[in-house]
Amino acid sequence: MKSLKQDWFSNVRNDLLAGLVVALALIPEAIAFSIIAGVDPKVGLYASFCIAVVIAFAGGRPGMISAATGAMALVMVTLVKDHGLQYLLAATILTGILQIIAGWIRLGALMRFVSRSVVTGFVNALAILIFMAQLPELINVTWHVYAMTAAGLGIIYLFPHVTKAVPSPLVTIVVLTAVAIVLDLDIRTVGDMGELPDSLPIFLLPDVPLNFETLAIILPYSLTLMVVGLLESLMTATIVDDLTDTSSDKNRECMGQGVANIASGFIGGMAGCAMIGQSVINVKSGGRGRLSTLSAGLFLLALLMLLGDWVARIPMAALVAVMIMVSIGTFNWASIRNLREHPPSSSIVMVATVAVTVATHDLAQGVLVGVLASGFFFAHKVGRLLGVRSSAEDEGRQRRYSVTGQVFFASADRFVASFDFKEVIDKVVIDVSRAHFWDITAVSALDKVVVKFRREGTDVDVIGLNEASATLVDKFAVHDKDGGADLLTGH
Amino acid sequence: MNQQDRKVLACVDQSHFADTVADYATWASRRMEAPLEFLHVIDRHLEQGSGEDHSGAIGVNAQAHLLNTLSEKDAALARSQREQGRLFLNRLRERALASGAPSADMRQRHGTLDETLAEQETDVRLFVLGRRGASAETTQRELGRNVESVVRAVRKPILAVTEGFTEPRRVMLAFDGSAVTRKGVDMIAGSPLFKGLPVHVLMSGKAAADGPKQVEWARSTLASAGFDVVADIIPGDPEAIIAREIRKRDVDMLLMGAYAHSPLRSLLFGSKTNGVLRSATIPTLLLR
Repeated sequence: MKSLKQDWFSNVRNDLLAGLVVALALIPEAIAFSIIAGVDPKVGLYASFCIAVVIAFAGGRPGMISAATGAMALVMVTLVKDHGLQYLLAATILTGILQIIAGWIRLGALMRFVSRSVVTGFVNALAILIFMAQLPELINVTWHVYAMTAAGLGIIYLFPHVTKAVPSPLVTIVVLTAVAIVLDLDIRTVGDMGELPDSLPIFLLPDVPLNFETLAIILPYSLTLMVVGLLESLMTATIVDDLTDTSSDKNRECMGQGVANIASGFIGGMAGCAMIGQSVINVKSGGRGRLSTLSAGLFLLALLMLLGDWVARIPMAALVAVMIMVSIGTFNWASIRNLREHPPSSSIVMVATVAVTVATHDLAQGVLVGVLASGFFFAHKVGRLLGVRSSAEDEGRQRRYSVTGQVFFASADRFVASFDFKEVIDKVVIDVSRAHFWDITAVSALDKVVVKFRREGTDVDVIGLNEASATLVDKFAVHDKDGGADLLTGH
Repeated sequence: MNQQDRKVLACVDQSHFADTVADYATWASRRMEAPLEFLHVIDRHLEQGSGEDHSGAIGVNAQAHLLNTLSEKDAALARSQREQGRLFLNRLRERALASGAPSADMRQRHGTLDETLAEQETDVRLFVLGRRGASAETTQRELGRNVESVVRAVRKPILAVTEGFTEPRRVMLAFDGSAVTRKGVDMIAGSPLFKGLPVHVLMSGKAAADGPKQVEWARSTLASAGFDVVADIIPGDPEAIIAREIRKRDVDMLLMGAYAHSPLRSLLFGSKTNGVLRSATIPTLLLR
C-alpha cells in the first residue's frame, strides 16, 4: 500500500511536468528511430506510447523512461529489409517472451559480469551509432539543410540560457517547421518518411505463418533484441538509481520490459527498451515516480492525435538536430580523457566494445567482446598473483618450495616453471597451504611437477593440499564466512 | 543482550510534542533504570524531485553533470538538517538529564520512521513516541499519520503519549484475555515501571464465557506481585467504556494490546486501537 502510494503519488506535480517534457522529446526520437529501423514513423510512435504506459505499471525502476530506442532499432534493420514489418512485430512479441523468461530466471544478476568499461563502451558506441544514423539526412542535400541543422543545434543549446521553462528541442522543432513553411523550402519532412498515426492504436495479430520457418527467421533477432534491451534497461536503471539515490528491482524491470514489448508487438509497435538520454531528461525535469513514465506515454499519444498533421511537416533537419543533441548527451566524454589515465586493460576493453559495435552495428556483439576481454584481462592479472620461494634444508639434502597465490589455467605454466627439476637432491617438500588451486589445470600442473621430480629419483612431499584445493569445489565462497579474508590471504 | 542494558528509545521530531515525549521517556528510564536514547529520524523524501529545469536539453556529460548537481543539493540539505537536529536533540538531552535520567544518548538517522525503528528494535526495551508530531501540527487529526505504521512495524511495547506530562499515579490495563494482554499482565508484574502504582484491570466489550476466570487470573497474578489491584468486567462498547472509566477513576496511563488485525481489515472496518487512542486522551502503552 505504502510503496504503491510512494511510487505513484508522492511527486505528482513534478512527475506530470517532467512527463510532458519527456513526451515532447520522445516524438522526434521515436520518429528518428523508426526511420533507422526502416519502418513507418507510426510504428515507433505507437511503440513508444505503449512501452511507456505499460512499463509505468510493470517496470521495476520508477522514473525510468522506456520507449522505442536506437539500440533496438539498429538490431532490426536487416529483419525489416529482408522480411518486412509483420516479421518485426512477431520478433517483438518473442523478444518480450524471452525477456519475461530472463527476468523469471533472474538473468539480471549476470549484469555484474559487465564491467564499468564495457558499460562506457556500450554507451559511447550507442551515441556514435545514433550520430551515424543521421548522416544519410546530411549527404547530398542543399545548403538549406545544413543551415537548418546548425540553427537547430544553436537553439537547443542556447535557448535554456534564456528560459528553462520550455523544452528547447520543442522550440527548435516549432521554429524550424515555421521557417520551412514560411520560406516554402523544398526539403525533406517527416511526412516523406512514411505513414504517421492517424488513429488510436488497435490490437492486431502479426500477419505471419505460425511455423518453424518463421521461428528460425525471428529467433536470432529476438535473442539479440532481448540481450540489447535488457542490457540498456539495466544500465539505465543503475544510472537512475545513482541519480536519485534510490534502489530498483532489476528482475521486475526485466519482466516489465518483456510485458511492454509483448504489448507493443500486438498494437503494431516495434521493440523498445529503457532510454538513457530520456531518463536523464526525466530526472533532470524533476520526474521520480511511475506517474512521470505513464504521463510521458499518454501525453505522447495525445500530442500525436492533436498535432498529427503538423508532425508530418516537421523538416528532417530539425529531427537531425535533436538526434545530434541526444548522441552528444549520451556519449561519455570523460571517457576520452580517461583513456590515458585508466589502466590500459580498461581502455582496451572500452575501445574494443566501441569498435566491434560500430563495425557490426550490433550492441550485443560489442558487449560480448567487451565482457570476454575484461575476463581475459582479469585472468591475466590474477595469474600474476603467484609466488614460489625455495630454501635448502637438512644440510642440502632437502629443498622446500613454498607456494603463495592463485594457481589456475592462466598461471599453471608459471607455476610449473618455478621449480628447478635439474637440481640433484634427495627430497623436495612442496608447501601449498598458502596457495589456491582453482581448477583442474592447476591440479594437473601439480601432478606434473610431482612426476618430474620423481623421475629424477627425488622424493616429493606435498603439504597443505586440502586447504589449497578447497577452492576447487564450484560452490566455494568465503564472503559469508567469518575469517573469509584470512582464507584467501594465507591460512 | 541483558534486559537491563536495553534502552528506552524516545522518538522525537521537531514539534512541541517532543518535550512531552522527552519527559515520559525520562520517567520510564528513571523507573526502569534503563539508558535513555533520543532518536531523530530525518526522512529525506528521495521519491520527490525538484523540477526547475524543463529545458529537455542534454549537453556534454549530461549524466555526470546532473549527478553532481543532485548530490550537491542533497548534501547541502542533509548538512543543514543534521545541524538543526543536533541542536534540537541536545536541548532535549539536557532536559532529560536535568530531570534525573540516569544517562541520555542521542542519535540521528536517515530513513523512514517505521523502517528505522524496526532496525533499532533489538536494543530497545520501550519506545516512546508522540501520538501526534510535526505533521499533525498543521492538521486537525487526533492521531499522527505515522503512529499506526510505526506500531505495526515493531514488536516491543510502545508508549504513545499525548501532550503534557503528569507523572503516572494510576494505571489501567484494558484486558481482553488475549495472549497479548496476558503478556501485558506478566509484564506489569515483572517490570519496575509500574511498581507501587495501583492497577485497574478492566474487561469490556462482548461478555465472554471465561471472562471472570481470566480477570481473576490477572488480578491474582498482579496481587501476588505486590500490586494494589482493582478488577472489573463492564460489558459494552470498549471505546466508550474505557474513556469513561479513565475519567471516573482518574487514571493517567492506559495499557492495551494494539493492532491485532491486519492493516486491510483496519482500513475497511476501522481499528479498535485507533478508536481507543482517539477517545482516551492519556498516555497509552501499546503491547504487541
